[in-house]
Amino acid sequence: MSRNTGYLKLYGVGLKVGMANIMAYRGDFFINFFIMLMAELFAPIITFLIYRSGAAFPGWTLEEVMMIQGVFLLSKGIGYVFFFGLVDNTLFMVREGTFDLLLIKPRPVLFMSLVSGINVGDLGSIFSGLGVFILAATYLSGTTLMQWLLFLALFVMSLTVMLAFSIIMGSTVIKWVGNGRVYEIFEAISSFGLYPKSIYGKAFANIISFIIPLSIIGFIPAAVLLGRPVTGIWISVIVSILFLILSTRIWKMMMKYYTSAGG
Amino acid sequence: MIIDTRNLKKTYITYERGTTFGATIKSLFVRKPIEIEALKGIYLSIEKGEIIGLIGPNGAGKSTTLKILSGILHPTSGEADVMGFTPWKQRKKYVANIGAVFGQKSQLIWDIPPMDSFQMNKAIYNIPEEAFTTRLNALVEMLDLSRLIHKPTRQLSLGERMKCEFVMAMLHDPPIVFLDEPTIGLDVIAKEVIRKFIKEMNAKGTTFILTTHDLDDIELLANRVVVINHGSIVFDDSLTNLMGKLGHKKIVKVILSQAYAGTTLKSGLEYEKNSELELEFTLDTSQMSLKAFMDHIAGELEIKDISIESEDIETVIKELYLI
Ligand SMILES: Nc1ncnc2c1ncn2[C@@H]1O[C@H](COP(=O)(O)OP(=O)(O)OP(=O)(O)O)[C@@H](O)[C@H]1O
Ligand SMILES: [Mg+2]
Repeated sequence: MSRNTGYLKLYGVGLKVGMANIMAYRGDFFINFFIMLMAELFAPIITFLIYRSGAAFPGWTLEEVMMIQGVFLLSKGIGYVFFFGLVDNTLFMVREGTFDLLLIKPRPVLFMSLVSGINVGDLGSIFSGLGVFILAATYLSGTTLMQWLLFLALFVMSLTVMLAFSIIMGSTVIKWVGNGRVYEIFEAISSFGLYPKSIYGKAFANIISFIIPLSIIGFIPAAVLLGRPVTGIWISVIVSILFLILSTRIWKMMMKYYTSAGG
Repeated sequence: MIIDTRNLKKTYITYERGTTFGATIKSLFVRKPIEIEALKGIYLSIEKGEIIGLIGPNGAGKSTTLKILSGILHPTSGEADVMGFTPWKQRKKYVANIGAVFGQKSQLIWDIPPMDSFQMNKAIYNIPEEAFTTRLNALVEMLDLSRLIHKPTRQLSLGERMKCEFVMAMLHDPPIVFLDEPTIGLDVIAKEVIRKFIKEMNAKGTTFILTTHDLDDIELLANRVVVINHGSIVFDDSLTNLMGKLGHKKIVKVILSQAYAGTTLKSGLEYEKNSELELEFTLDTSQMSLKAFMDHIAGELEIKDISIESEDIETVIKELYLI
């Protein structure tokens, strides 16, 4: 068997185990599903209220802003289910001392932690993202196949950034185990990606496009679908890839710290 | 030789945290490093097929040694060759060839049955279907687990869970298995099952290195005892030789038919009066042979009955720990 199918298969088994794990507490699953579903709808509801009161983000219709937020929330939802478990899982295991047990498996520790962190319990957040996205998509008109394809490619980049964020957060909890607050920092930073880039000053807009790739999470893919002009797409794509590379470097650094300090 | 380590050293660095509020604030800015020399140069050579019992008092460095040998920790300095690998340098390739059970940490996933965890290991180690089934059946039968592997792990007793931990560690048929306190918290019967299992797997060729605080594990399993204290190996030989080397004290109880007035015995002989008519000697046979002692007391005491016992392992080992 080739190495790669080995990894794919392992991911599949990890997904199955994740499901089984969730089903062990079915009641909790449904409660959690609705909590996540509702919690993620917070930003779109606020946006809706803003528009209803007559205010607006200049140059953007409500449907367009909803598209940005739908893409953002969908990406974050997928992140919650498939990537962010890495953070909780790493934190939990380092605290408990069971992180050691990942090191005796013949696989990369990052991959192992990602697989054992799959969190089907957060599925609700994917649904809320998908709901807002589909709703906004019904207002699209004249979108070409080319636009959809470019959107898909950019959405993969959006997920790449989500993965990179979770790896960076996971890395920090290896060393700073008391650091349960990383999420809040992430939530605060990433929420800049919820709104049209044009509402920010030019310097700040550049930071969230080209330094910390936040625009690519929601704004850039949505703008392509909406047929709005976006500058520097390719730079943002490259920055996103670099961001992922950077995150794995940070992970390696923290692992090095862990294996020499001993938990 | 399957394991060979040379001069393994490990120094942990921790940082002092203040206990008072002021000191805690201060420690946020200036941290005073404290070095803990957990291993001070471990030389260990192990042949294929051995069962090594690694013992020593709390904090001696046993777990640290196992963590380094299983590729989890990097040593501060020193070398190790395990089956041709340097554990901490070629971790991924290396750990495919070892198994490990840490008595204090579980590899099983808590909310789902052990069988699902086994499936996970099958994917992790890329174990072919057929080999997996054969091996699983054999292990399940040896440990009498067939009724348990489909129950959620959290519903298993500690002993049942520990048996499943062994299955987890051995599904991929590793030539070497590290066990860190595998019998901790188990009842007599569970301990017996685990020991029998280790013996049987060893007979089939698996090398075991185990740490324990239960000296019965050592007595019943280990062909070789390595005593580690303060980060150094202070003894490395068979248990018989350990007893021979250190166990030169005899406890001699003498029942008298007439009370002993107490002046004529040789000075330097240690004894306690349990009662008027019962004396208990602790004889150091490296100072005075048993024969000389018997000759001496036979002349001095009115002996009615006598019993001689060797020091037990526990006492012998305590002596080593107190060095
Ligand atoms: N991660 C760590 N950071 C700092 N010091 C550590 C760490 N792990 C162990 N130590 C210290 O290193 C020494 C050896 O610890 P180790 O766990 O190897 O002992 P042990 O022989 O396994 O003891 P026990 O019988 O209690 O399990 C101890 O003084 C311990 O406090
Ligand atoms: Mg220990």
